[in-house]
Amino acid sequence: MLTRRLERALAYLLLIAIAIVGLAPFVVIVLISTKTRIEVLQVPPSLDFDIDQIVKNYRDVLFDRGFISYTWNSIVATTLSVGLALVIGTPAAYAFSRIPFRGRDDWASTILSLRFMPAVAVAIPILLMLRFLGLDNTMSGLIIPYIAFSLPLVVWILIGFFDEIPRELDDAAMVDGCTRFTVLTRVMLPLLRPGLIVAAIFAAIFIWNEFLVGLYIVNSQGLKTIPLGAAGLISAQRPIDWNVAATVGVVTIIPIFLFSLFIQRYIVRGITAGAVK
Amino acid sequence: MASGGRRSSHPLHRRRDVLLLVAPTAVYLVVFSVFPLIYSLGISFFDWSQTTSSFTFIGLDNYRDLIADPIFWQAATNTAILVIASIAIQVVLGTALALFFDLHLRGSWFVRGVLILPMLLTPVVVGLMWRALLNPDWGMVNYVLGQLGFAKPLWTADPKLALVTLVLVDSWQWTPFVMVIVFARLQALPRDVFEASSVDGAGRRSTLRLITLPLLAPAIVFAAVFRSIDAFRSFDIVFGLTFGGPGRLTTTLSFYTWENGFTFTRYGYASSLAYVMVVVASISLAILVRRVNLRRSDTI
Repeated sequence: MLTRRLERALAYLLLIAIAIVGLAPFVVIVLISTKTRIEVLQVPPSLDFDIDQIVKNYRDVLFDRGFISYTWNSIVATTLSVGLALVIGTPAAYAFSRIPFRGRDDWASTILSLRFMPAVAVAIPILLMLRFLGLDNTMSGLIIPYIAFSLPLVVWILIGFFDEIPRELDDAAMVDGCTRFTVLTRVMLPLLRPGLIVAAIFAAIFIWNEFLVGLYIVNSQGLKTIPLGAAGLISAQRPIDWNVAATVGVVTIIPIFLFSLFIQRYIVRGITAGAVK
Repeated sequence: MASGGRRSSHPLHRRRDVLLLVAPTAVYLVVFSVFPLIYSLGISFFDWSQTTSSFTFIGLDNYRDLIADPIFWQAATNTAILVIASIAIQVVLGTALALFFDLHLRGSWFVRGVLILPMLLTPVVVGLMWRALLNPDWGMVNYVLGQLGFAKPLWTADPKLALVTLVLVDSWQWTPFVMVIVFARLQALPRDVFEASSVDGAGRRSTLRLITLPLLAPAIVFAAVFRSIDAFRSFDIVFGLTFGGPGRLTTTLSFYTWENGFTFTRYGYASSLAYVMVVVASISLAILVRRVNLRRSDTI
C-alpha cells in the first residue's frame, strides 16, 4: 500500500515536471517578447516589465511589420481553400464509401499517396502554371494549390466518417425516391457534420502552416501569410532582433493556442479517422 | 458490414453516379497534383535556368551531375539520419507519454493539451523559437544547463551537434503526434484484457511487454509511417532553425532542392533532385502500404 502511494506521488511529480518542460519554452518566449533588443542578452531575464516597451514591440510586429495583414491573409487563404476542398472532396468520399466499383481501394490509396508527395517537387511546375494563367503572386494563386494539397486528406478522413453512417439510411432514402445526390445533400450532410469539422481542422492546420509553395508563389508584402511573414525575419545580411522574433512567436502562437482549446477532442478523432478504415 | 435492404440503383446508374461524384476531385487532382509531378519530371531533362536564361534538352545530364554532387549526397545522408533518429526518439517517447497519460492522473488532460500545442505550430516559427532558446550565449536552455553544472553546448553552431539539434527540435514538435495516436488506441483497447492478465498474476512489466505493446503495435507503426514520410520532406523547420548550416551539415534534400529551384533558379537541376525524392517516397510508400495496410479496419 505504501509503495502504491509512493508510486502515485512520483507519478504526480513526473506530471508536474512534464508540464513545466512543456510550458517553459512558451513562457520564455513571452518573456523575451517584453524586452528591448539589448535586454534580451541578459540571462536570466529580469522580471521587471516596462509596459511601454511591450506596447512598442507588439505594435511594431502587428502594424509596422504587417502581422495583422499576414494573419488576415492566412485566414482568407485557409478558409477559402478548406471550404472549396470540402465541397469538391465530399462527393468523392461518399462514392468511395458507398458505391462499389472496380479498383475502388486502389484509387483511394492513390489519392492518399498524393498527400505524401514532397511539395518541393510540385512547387516549380505550379509556379509556372500559375504564371501561365496570370495568377502567380495572387490570392487565387495560393488557394488553387492549397486545395490540391488538402483534397487527399479531406477525402481520406471523410471516407472514414461516411463508413460510420449506416448504409440502411441510403437504401431507405433511395427506396423513397431520392437520387444519390439528394441522399448526399439531404440525408448524409447533416449526419456528416463531425466528419466535416475534423476534415476542415486538419486541412486548416496544414494550410495555415504551409510555407514552401507559398514562398514560390507570393512575393508581394501584401499577400504574405503568417509563415511567409515569419520567414522575413530570417535574413543572411542582418542579425535577427530577438525581441521582435519572440513577439512574432507570441503573436502567431496565440491564435493557434485559442484554436487548440476547442479542437482537442477533434484532433484525436481526426488522426485516428485516417487510420480507422 | 452486412448490408441489408435491396440495391435500388441500376449498375449503369451506379457507374454514372460514381463518375459524377468522383469527377471534381479526380479532375482537380490530375490538373494540380499529377500534372505538376509529370511536368517536373519533364523539366528535369532540361538545362533550364532563369538567371542564365538557358533552355536546352540535356537528357539525363542533370541526374549524372547529381550523382557527382557531394552536396546531394550530404543532403541525402542528413535526411536519412534525420528520419531514422527522429522517428526512433518520437516513437519511444510518444509511446511512453501515452502510457503515462493512460494512468489518468488528475490534471493530466491539461498537460496533454500543453503537449499537443507544438504540433499545431508553424514549423518556421518553431525553428526560430528554438534558435532563441538554444542561443549559446543568452539562451535559456544553456542557462539552465549551466546552473545544473552541465557543459554548455553550442547547439546549431557546433558542427557535431547541429544535426542532433535539428532532430531534437523536430522531436519536440512531433512527439505529441505519436502520443495522440497511441493514446487514442490505448483508450479504445478492451479493459477486460488487462483485468484478465492481472488476475492471471502477470506482473505489470510482463503485461506491458506481452499484452499492451503488441496491441498498440498497429497504432505505433501507423504513427511511425506518417512521421517518416513527413520527416523525409523536412524543410520549414530547417529554414527556421539552421538554414541548412553550418556549412551543409543540416541541409536536407528538400532544402537543397528548394535552394536550387528558388535561390539559384536552376529549375532543371532542382527538378531532378525533386524527382529523386518523388521516386524514393513512392517506393517507400508502395512497400509500406503493402506491408502495413493502412486500410486495415482493426488499426485503431
